[in-house]
Amino acid sequence: MDGRDFIDFVVGEEKRLTDILSRDDVMPMLESAILAGVGSAMIVDEAEVPLWRAGAAPGDFVFLSTSAGVFSAPLMLEGEPVGKVCLVGDGVDPEALNAMLKIVSGALNRLISGNLKRMLTTEIHTKVVNQSYDELVEINRQLTVSEKQYRDLAESLEVRVRERTDELKRAYARMLQQEKLASVGQLAAGVAHEINNPLGFILSNLQTLRKYVGKFSEMLEFYRSSAGSGQMPAALRLGAESKWRELKLDFVMADLDELFTHSISGAERVKKIVADLRGFSHVDDTGSGSIRINDELERTLSVIAAEIPDDVKIVKEFGVLPDVKGSAGLLCQAFLNLIRNALQCRQGGLKLLIRTEAFGAGVRLSFIDNGPGIPEAIRNRIFEPFFTTRQVGQGMGMGLTVAYDAVKTAGGTIAVKSQEGRGSAFIIELPTVRSDK
Amino acid sequence: MIEYDETENRMVLKLVYYGPALSGKTTNLLQLHELLDQQGRGDLMVLDTKDDRTIYFDLLPFFLVAPSGLKIKVKVFTVPGQVKHDATRKAVLQRADGVAFIADSQTVETMNNFNSFENLEKNLEMVGLDIEKIPLVIQYNKRDLTDILTEEDIRRVWSQTGIPVFLASALNGAGVVETFCCLAERVYDSIDKKHGLLQRHGLDRGGFIKQLVRLPGGTGAPSI
Repeated sequence: MDGRDFIDFVVGEEKRLTDILSRDDVMPMLESAILAGVGSAMIVDEAEVPLWRAGAAPGDFVFLSTSAGVFSAPLMLEGEPVGKVCLVGDGVDPEALNAMLKIVSGALNRLISGNLKRMLTTEIHTKVVNQSYDELVEINRQLTVSEKQYRDLAESLEVRVRERTDELKRAYARMLQQEKLASVGQLAAGVAHEINNPLGFILSNLQTLRKYVGKFSEMLEFYRSSAGSGQMPAALRLGAESKWRELKLDFVMADLDELFTHSISGAERVKKIVADLRGFSHVDDTGSGSIRINDELERTLSVIAAEIPDDVKIVKEFGVLPDVKGSAGLLCQAFLNLIRNALQCRQGGLKLLIRTEAFGAGVRLSFIDNGPGIPEAIRNRIFEPFFTTRQVGQGMGMGLTVAYDAVKTAGGTIAVKSQEGRGSAFIIELPTVRSDK
Repeated sequence: MIEYDETENRMVLKLVYYGPALSGKTTNLLQLHELLDQQGRGDLMVLDTKDDRTIYFDLLPFFLVAPSGLKIKVKVFTVPGQVKHDATRKAVLQRADGVAFIADSQTVETMNNFNSFENLEKNLEMVGLDIEKIPLVIQYNKRDLTDILTEEDIRRVWSQTGIPVFLASALNGAGVVETFCCLAERVYDSIDKKHGLLQRHGLDRGGFIKQLVRLPGGTGAPSI
């Protein structure tokens, strides 16, 4: 209603004669009466106040409706007298004046009733139109609002569906990976168990054997030195000497100790590899706990050691770090995938810098390579499940997804910076274990 | 109330005949015009109609004078009953002092009566009036027709509400004055309570009815 002409009224509101009649309505009639010979004509309201008049009244002659010689008739509005029309003869025949009065008052009363009807009709029509317009505007406003809500809903629905789908994809991929990890871990644990037993007695037997062989050697030396002292027949002594040389026992005796040393250290290496495998797979973990990032990185590197070609240079810059919270198994898998990703990105001359450092609220790990970098067009897709740049069969496109999920699960963030032709840097930030938790 | 001007000693009241289309609202006014004495009332003003259907409203004014000199003008309106004229109904209903709801007795009109009454409730609320407080009477018109609701059914439906119900045949003039009279009494009570018609203006209920409902030959208001 604001800013628009709005006629407000109450149906049935009282009206005055001047609301209903205008000068243009009245004057032609009064003037016609004068032309017809009436001396003076006038319309007064209910309080006898003159409203309109015609005819040459001499001087400031004012007559009242009740004055002598004045013929007057009531004007009715809605059945109520609201004024009078008055005629003065000025020498006119009273009969004619009376007839004139009837004509004029009849015409005026018809006019009043017609004008009133027209006004009421116009007023109510205007009111209804305005009201209907306001209602339409309001309905339109409500429809616009609800239409917008539906549109927003439809739009956000699409986005939500896409988000959920991606989430599901990732969850599915993560599940696959965790299952794989779990089965690898179980396998590793089984193998480790099977190997550990024989390895145990191999190692202990080797130690014992070394002791026994030492005794044999000592006994042999004793016989040999006794033979040299001449207490043995010459023929036997010469025979023994020639057999000693034939069996190259000088070399054997000298090599024995080295053989044992190498065998034992070899067996111990096997033992360590088995232990690392077990540790890496974290089959023994009960869940998430405090993790020493540097230890986990070392362990990961030792597991992947066999995959690292000789010409790859891995530089470790490990800082002193507080513990972080999370699943060590998942994080190791993330590190493994990032390192493997770097190893695959360049043939020959790869340098990989692994740096760890503490910062404000957590620890930051950087895996910086001098590979070909990631083209900008695909940079925001590399963490998507099943997204891969490799040939079919060479990669599932899961490596970085798993890394991403593992870091997210640990409450951290992973970001990538890359320059084409210069290399890439994956930066992981993980929150530290808070003392209040 | 349309107007109450204490300096000019003038009061203008509004009564509204409401109801579904073709239930006989205009006929009620026509009959009042016909049956009541010409003295103390104006002419019935019928605004444009189309095929005998009210488009705007009809108006019948009455004039009363209290012993104190207070001039009371009672304007009786009808509303257009057709559903499409709801905005007009709302406009006419504004500041009403009393409502006569004219229902159609024919059984096929039951739903229309119901919808119209619901519309009355809604519109009263929209113009700021309380259906529980406004003087209200109900008239079941067209008793002269066949296939109509029984009186028993009508009384059973309305008896709990406490709203007076009249049976009428407006076309023959039956029940028209009684309905109007009862509405006038209720309106008097409500105005008297607010503005002291008796205390301040010396106008009692009987005097109010006698001036408003003048039957020719000075028989006065019919007894109800």
